[in-house]
Formats: sequence, structure tokens, C-alpha cells
Amino acid sequence: MQNIQSQRSQSRYAKGYVLYNKPYMEEKNSDITTEQLKEKLISVANSRSRSDYAMLFSYFAPKILAFGHQRLSTQGLAMDLVQETMTAVWTKAHLFDADKGAVTTWIFTIMRNRCFDMLRKVQHNREDTVSDDIWPIFETAEHVEPEDHMLTNKLMKHVDELPPLQQQIVRGIYLQELSQQELASKLNVPLGTVKSRLRLGLVKLRSILEKHHD
Amino acid sequence: MINYHPNDDMLLEHAKGSLSLAMTTALSAHCELCSICQEKLTTMTQQHAHIALIEEDAAADELETSIDLDDMLNSIMLLTPSSTSERLSQSAIVTVKGHEYQLPKAFRQQVRETWNGLGKISRMRLETDSGDARASLLHIDAGGEIPEHTHQGTELTLLLAGHFEDEFNRYGPGDFILLDSDHQHTPKTEDGCLCYTVVDAPLRFTKGISKLLNPIGELIY
Ligand SMILES: [Zn+2]
Repeated sequence: MQNIQSQRSQSRYAKGYVLYNKPYMEEKNSDITTEQLKEKLISVANSRSRSDYAMLFSYFAPKILAFGHQRLSTQGLAMDLVQETMTAVWTKAHLFDADKGAVTTWIFTIMRNRCFDMLRKVQHNREDTVSDDIWPIFETAEHVEPEDHMLTNKLMKHVDELPPLQQQIVRGIYLQELSQQELASKLNVPLGTVKSRLRLGLVKLRSILEKHHD
Repeated sequence: MINYHPNDDMLLEHAKGSLSLAMTTALSAHCELCSICQEKLTTMTQQHAHIALIEEDAAADELETSIDLDDMLNSIMLLTPSSTSERLSQSAIVTVKGHEYQLPKAFRQQVRETWNGLGKISRMRLETDSGDARASLLHIDAGGEIPEHTHQGTELTLLLAGHFEDEFNRYGPGDFILLDSDHQHTPKTEDGCLCYTVVDAPLRFTKGISKLLNPIGELIY
């Protein structure tokens, strides 16, 4: 019997491992570094910087387009791939986790996954998005809802112990589920006041909770 | 301990996203079970991302001059950030013959059919992207075996749970076994097992009475 899978065939990629693990950013063709790409993406995430996004866009869009041309053959589909990938970069920048990988890896992963699903759709009329199951996209774990609810429930037991003005805001946000802006209009106070009362109220609640645990 | 791994070329094609759904599912599932291959895959993905998005300048430059992307840029920046990630990944769970198995994530949206079976063998057919290929989850009860058979093309078996033996080896969970068309084998399992199998052509049984069972061969794989 021949087990035809083999580890003996060393591809050029396999040989490249060691080399690749060294800093690989000797940019020949472009003057932007990995570090700069990361700074720009983080600035999009934190402050929705349009100029930094435009920078990333003009850097990556043509490359995604070239990748799309190779895989998807038609100009229209290649443009769709650019649109879908770069939309995710804009709307999900805050999910990028720099500790888990480079900006290029993150964007490549999104592009490859979208492309795989697009091909399935075009060739097999499939509407599902299996790609993110097959290649998980590394992203920051978002806060875990159940724990938050439990914490909120515990905190709310003590809401009566807050000063009335803070109580009003905390109840509005957590029990009536109003937005901060809605509360501000309703109570006819500036948004900043709502924010600061909320913050004070939550800090106070936490300290009450800690006391009860002692 | 996983003894059988996909080779580097297959891992790389998986990283690039250029394998068929069935094969890439098998690679993804193996990497979820095998930290060695997962690590290789991570490195290859980084490396290939760099090639595709940093080094591919010539082709990109040519396109860039001919296409105006400004409208797209502006339309994207009108969108607001998405506040949540779309879904929490749940794993796929299948139940067969009273056993419950949690499958790797790659199967999450692929398991939907019911099991068909004969005796100790149960099969769930899964979707493939390529015409002749067949992909299945195959469950063999303790003490079961599959009649000796050859295949016209390659046969990939990813063992997900339990063990099986053939004339040559004993295999355990996570083992990625790719066999070509030149050999015959008769897998048996003492303790029962669950596998994901991909064959690129229908199997043919080769031995004596088993020939009568050929229609079953198509049922099984
Ligand atoms: Zn492995």
C-alpha cells in the first residue's frame, strides 16, 4: 500500500518557513511598513479616520482586484470582491486583533473567505457562508453577553441604594433600555450629564456590590 | 497522537483557498484537531497573504490605472461600523446509533441530512462542489468492517473519533489518510469509529461475493 500523502516533498513554502519567521518587511516596492499598516487600521478602528482608511483602500484595493481577476475571471465579480472585502475592513476594523496576526493576514483571510463563498454562489448557486467556519477569522472576542447580564442583575438589586439622580439614569438605561441620547432629551439635560451620572452610578453600584461580597 | 498528516502542498492549497469544498473541509477539520498542522497553516497563511497583498504589484498596478475606485471608497465610508460579530460559532453535533459526536467547526453548516445505513455501517452524505466526488460522514459500529474495495481515484479518510485498522496500520482520531487507486484495503474497527471520507469516484468492491454488494458500495461512500 502506498500512503501517497508524504512529508518528503518539501515545497518552496515549507523551505521558506524559517526565513519567513524573521522580520519579512523589507519593502522593495512600497514605502509602507507592516507597522504603519497596523497604525492606520487601528486609527480607523478607534477614530474612524477617513484619511487612514483611504490610504488602506488605495493600498489594498488594487491587489484585491488582481486576486479577484485570477480567481473569479470577470471584472464585475472582482469588483464585488473588492467591495465586500474593503467594506469589512471599514465596518469591522475594531474587531482586528493585532496580537493575533498582521493586518495583511487579516485582510487576506477576509478576501479569501469572501472569494470562496462567491465562487460557490456563482458555480453552485449556494447562498451560505461556509468559509468562516472553514477558516476562522481572527478577531477580538466580543464581550460575553451572559456574564454581563448576570452582572447587571446583581448590580440592579442595589439600584435603590443610589442617589436619586444616578438611579434615574441607571434605571433608564438598564431597565427601560433607553439610549443615552433619549434619556438626555427626556430629562432635558445635556448628554454629557447623562454619561457622567451613569458612570458615577455604575462605579457606586460596583463598590456596593464589592462591600456585599466582603 | 496523530500519525498521519496532510502534506505541505495540500496545506498550502488550503491556505490559499483553492481546494474543493470537500477537501478543504477535511483540511480545516484536521487542523482543528492537530496543533502541528494548525501552526504550519498559520505560517503559510501569513506568508501567502504577504505574497498576495504586498508583493503582487505588477498586476495590481496595471489594473489600478484603468479602474476608478473612488466611488466605491466613498460609498463604503458612508457605512457605520457593525456593532457585533455576526454569530457565535457553534459546533456541529451529530447523533448516530445512540452516540453523540461533536464535529469540527468546518462541518457546522454542512451536516443536515439523516443517516442511511446497513448493519453496522451508517452514512450521511455531505455536499461536494465537484461532480464525481462523494463526501460522507461514515459511522461504523464496534466490530464492523467494510468489504474489501479499491477506488478509481484517491480516497481521503479523516478519522474523527474512535479507531480503525486495515491490513497495514491502526489509525486514531485526527489521522488524515489519503490513499491512491492502486491499493485495496479492508478497514475494520474494534471499538467503532466516525470518519469523514472523500472519494473522487464511486468505489468498486473487488472480491468474490462482495461483487454482489457493489450497489452497497455506492450506498456506503
Ligand atoms: Zn497534522
